[in-house]
Amino acid sequence: MVGLSEGEKEFIKGGIAQDLRSDGRKRYTYRPIYVETGVIPQANGSARVRMGSTDVIASVKAELGRPSAMQPDKGKVAIFVDCSPTAEPTFEGRGGEELSAELSSALQRCLLGGKSGAGAGIDLSSLVVVEGKVCWDLYIDGLVISSDGNLLDALGAAIKAALSNTGIPSVHVAAEAASDEQPEVDISDEEFLQFDTSGVPVITTLTKVGKHYIVDATLEEESQMSSAVSISINRQGHICGMIKRGGVGLDPSVILDMISVANFVSRQLMDKLDSEIAAAEADEEES
Amino acid sequence: MAAKPSTTTTAKATYSPIDPTRKTRPPIFSGSDVDWLRPDSRGFHQCRPAFFRTGAVNSASGSAYAEFGNTKVIVSVFGPRESKKAMMYSNIGRLNCNVSYTTFATPIRGQGSDHKDFSSMLHKALEGAIILETFPKTTVDVFALVLESGGSDLPVVISCASVALADAGIMMYDLVASVSVSCLGKNLLIDPVLEEESYQDGSLMIACMPSRYEVTQLTVTGEWSTPHFNEAMQLCLDASAKLGKIMRSCLKEAASDEQE
Repeated sequence: MVGLSEGEKEFIKGGIAQDLRSDGRKRYTYRPIYVETGVIPQANGSARVRMGSTDVIASVKAELGRPSAMQPDKGKVAIFVDCSPTAEPTFEGRGGEELSAELSSALQRCLLGGKSGAGAGIDLSSLVVVEGKVCWDLYIDGLVISSDGNLLDALGAAIKAALSNTGIPSVHVAAEAASDEQPEVDISDEEFLQFDTSGVPVITTLTKVGKHYIVDATLEEESQMSSAVSISINRQGHICGMIKRGGVGLDPSVILDMISVANFVSRQLMDKLDSEIAAAEADEEES
Repeated sequence: MAAKPSTTTTAKATYSPIDPTRKTRPPIFSGSDVDWLRPDSRGFHQCRPAFFRTGAVNSASGSAYAEFGNTKVIVSVFGPRESKKAMMYSNIGRLNCNVSYTTFATPIRGQGSDHKDFSSMLHKALEGAIILETFPKTTVDVFALVLESGGSDLPVVISCASVALADAGIMMYDLVASVSVSCLGKNLLIDPVLEEESYQDGSLMIACMPSRYEVTQLTVTGEWSTPHFNEAMQLCLDASAKLGKIMRSCLKEAASDEQE
């Protein structure tokens, strides 16, 4: 919980109305983003993203599994988010569960596309090793280390960075014996396949405070919001998922306006993120 | 920009009684990619007939039963009643929502557990419509039970819950009507059934207050281009305006029955 006096609340609201926020940013300006990749050696891919004092880590682990009977030509991806009590004392025990569940379902909605797998940021058919028998299961775990608002966008960015850092071991399938038996596979320790992450969307949350909306809200600004809309948009400018948070209703025309703003903002965020990821990858290779 | 529904009275055939003999597709989809006849022989832009009845549970302060095709939902509302002891003081009321599935609701027994986020979605859809200031320090509990899952479960639960809240006499700004649209290929199918939902490429669900013309909850999955999204949203808003009228008439009927 954020404790704010009436004066502070007015200061935040007034600042947003005048396009000059408490930390000197404009309404559509992000805090500086720092990306670090390969922070968890045990995982197949990982990244840490910092935006101001919001700090999150995403890791990708790949395991061999069986494709579901419904979709034999597709791998499986699961996203979980954990809110560490280090971020906020209220997350201790079951306290962070509600937020974790909300963030995980929001990320699944925004990144994994529809039920048939269409519009997914991750190409699920690239995860299949032997159709109907062996596929890769990707477990994407997000961890919130420090929370200062805009968690969803940070987690989305961290997952995008972690995926581009992910190397999936190449698999050698032994010559098949019988068609109904599980084929033997040999996982290589040296050869890795890179992921194509150009289709992974970025998530932009527009927080409505008063009459205006802002991007990358801090915790204090979030406490003053009436409602927020998170929109995930890919390179083509297509909407890949959307959820609304906060109780107050929105006029449909406002939502359409938010989409066009998000479209504009997400393009900048995506460019920024791509260059940060490239720089982080280069850093990692050097060291 | 979205126009108000009053200006776009290009009445799509949402919520008109369906003619079971009509097997031809609506002329809207004269394109080449139409080879889909909906399982219940509806038009693409036609909703299932909606049925609401209040007072389904005697012990609750208010309750409602809704039936949309095979989707059957019962919602009971308790309160406003004392908040749990552990709760902090609050000068506005609290809303507590829970959505559960019966074990026999789905084709495979006990499959309803993958709808964990429905409770929080229902909460968000309703809280913007309820005037929480009218019952400070107390809690209103909304319990929804899906008796049979036949597709578009969450929109039916939301609409039914707002009728139940009205039946319980909880002050609201407006009823909340909710409709979802599925995207299959290029086509938009309103109010999808379970079979259509399992094939869908994308979906859009809107919960809105028809008289205030405000959206309280909105979720989108799958890839949408902006014009396509606009079309889907307008379709949903038009349908929920009509659904709102049905909900209102159900409440009016119940009230006039009581007077007699």
